[in-house]
Amino acid sequence: MSTVAGHAPSFPSRREVIEHVRALGREVVAVMPIHYPRAMLRAHRLHPIEIWGPPRVPRVEGSRHFQAYTCDIVVKATSFVRSGGIAGTKAILVPHTCDALQGMASVLGDFLHPEQRVLTLYLPRGRRTSDRDFLREELQRLGAKLSEVSGHQPSRADWMEAFEAEDAADAALADLYRRRERLAVSDRHFYQVIRAREYLTAEQFCEAATAVPEGNRPRTGVGLMISGIVAEPLELFDQIEALGAHIVGDDLACGFRRVYSTSMRNDPFERSASRLLKGPPDPTCGTPVRDRIEALQTRMRALGARGLLVYDPKFCEPELFDVPLLRKHLHEAGFPVLHVEFEMGETLPHQTLSRIEAFVETLS
Amino acid sequence: MSHVAAIGIDAGSTTCKLVAVDRDGAIIAWLLEPTEPRVEIQVRRMLDALRAEIRIETAVPAIATGYGRKLIKQATRNLTEITCHARGVFRDLGRAGTLIDIGGQDSKVIQIGEDGRPVDFMMNDKCAAGTGRFLEYTAARLGVPIEALGKRALSVSSEEPISSTCTVFAESEIISLIARGAEPDAILRGLHRSLVGRVVSMARSVGIVPPVMLSGGVARNEAVRTMIAEATGEDVIVPRQPQLMGAYGAALLGSAA
Ligand code: SF4
Repeated sequence: MSTVAGHAPSFPSRREVIEHVRALGREVVAVMPIHYPRAMLRAHRLHPIEIWGPPRVPRVEGSRHFQAYTCDIVVKATSFVRSGGIAGTKAILVPHTCDALQGMASVLGDFLHPEQRVLTLYLPRGRRTSDRDFLREELQRLGAKLSEVSGHQPSRADWMEAFEAEDAADAALADLYRRRERLAVSDRHFYQVIRAREYLTAEQFCEAATAVPEGNRPRTGVGLMISGIVAEPLELFDQIEALGAHIVGDDLACGFRRVYSTSMRNDPFERSASRLLKGPPDPTCGTPVRDRIEALQTRMRALGARGLLVYDPKFCEPELFDVPLLRKHLHEAGFPVLHVEFEMGETLPHQTLSRIEAFVETLS
Repeated sequence: MSHVAAIGIDAGSTTCKLVAVDRDGAIIAWLLEPTEPRVEIQVRRMLDALRAEIRIETAVPAIATGYGRKLIKQATRNLTEITCHARGVFRDLGRAGTLIDIGGQDSKVIQIGEDGRPVDFMMNDKCAAGTGRFLEYTAARLGVPIEALGKRALSVSSEEPISSTCTVFAESEIISLIARGAEPDAILRGLHRSLVGRVVSMARSVGIVPPVMLSGGVARNEAVRTMIAEATGEDVIVPRQPQLMGAYGAALLGSAA
């Protein structure tokens, strides 16, 4: 594995990762966004490979089963499952991130019956003690299902090994964000590494993260904060740089929102639950919008961001609820906000780029 | 004649405009044509036509804007329509406020700050509803020439509400209204209301800071002006040459006037 400044980082492919984990005696589980207990899967000898709306898959097949106003992540993932994209995996885990994903879990489990087991995870919409207790029970329920899928009941040693490995990978992710200003790589390169966490093993990710070189990379132009669910295609970052701007920080569901704080509780389910509830503000976790606004303001000030680009897949309900208030309050605080909705594809439409270009001009 | 300080080129999706300004930012000459498929060739020809009329030094900056801006090789720089429209209208009307620009294939709302720079904006460039194309298509169904649309819509007091915001569905709604014997001018009035409803709701999401200013080709349509004033409760001010504001702003930004 190598990571050279100015060059694309190279990681094992998904296929190579699958072969690798199988050789280690683990089976693969497809996982939908956003939050789920990684260490728990590992303790059960399972390896997660995430699906964030594969861009090369057409909506057609999936769109037969959902309303026209369902996001690409859900519709394209359903097409992907229907077209055999997750063949060879043991199960698909669909966390209750939003109504669209809950709908997907029902459509798969009740009507489409893929060959894989469909697992659900109900996530609470708050971070109170009662939410943690609920999640703990929910994780216990999921744990029983995971044992059925893998045929393995984790021992204390399995749990400890899994927590150690996944905590190290989470720490490597957090460290990448901490070192961000000093990294000698482009925004595209940075997010390629961040997103490799979606399928690499914890050890592979740690290696990839520590390989990101530090060095002098003077950053000119307008500093932007990017928020939303997922920034795709990665070409977006090249285009933003070409427009004379760069990303100083993110609030992306596929990025910073998964920088969890570690938890040291003894009970593995309690530990997993409290960890999942210790991430940055996230509308899909029921964080009040004012907390998100406050956190964004503080980070934008600290990082020197001039404006916020909210970049969301079309029809993302949890995000759409927050956007008007984000716009209003951040604007009042002196941070203009641009909200762009995109359809997942391989290229960036001219209109999207034009909006971002106009936004950068207004901030220049 | 004064010297040309800069040229603005607005390669829009419906029309292509060229504006030359002097050192004080006054318009010396302009050209406007329907956009051709090869806009870069068209701009070359239009620049030659402009040179045949006025003396242009080779080092004069040329700023391109509009959807085809990146194709214009003669441009020394390109900027988005948002920045250029804001600058052009601010210079022409001398006011900060809310600019609604309704072009042939897109519409935008720009909040212009006290210094003439855009503070916030919103664009509708994915859907024909809320653009000039909406009126054009639907008017074609009624056989009314585009220049007469506004006058005809204001000539009646009755109005046929058009519930579809989508251009395609609105067209079939018109067909059923005609079949039911509805008055064509009342249909036209309803169509204008529908377009205005769409752009005003976009303006509301940005926040309406008075005065409301209107640019783009559709600004010439008196029914659109009247209905925007009714919907916002604000007077609507229109620059002298509403279609040229993008090119004018581009030229101003090139000359720094
Ligand atoms: S993009 Fe939004 S609506 Fe779609 S799955 Fe993600 S959170 Fe849910």
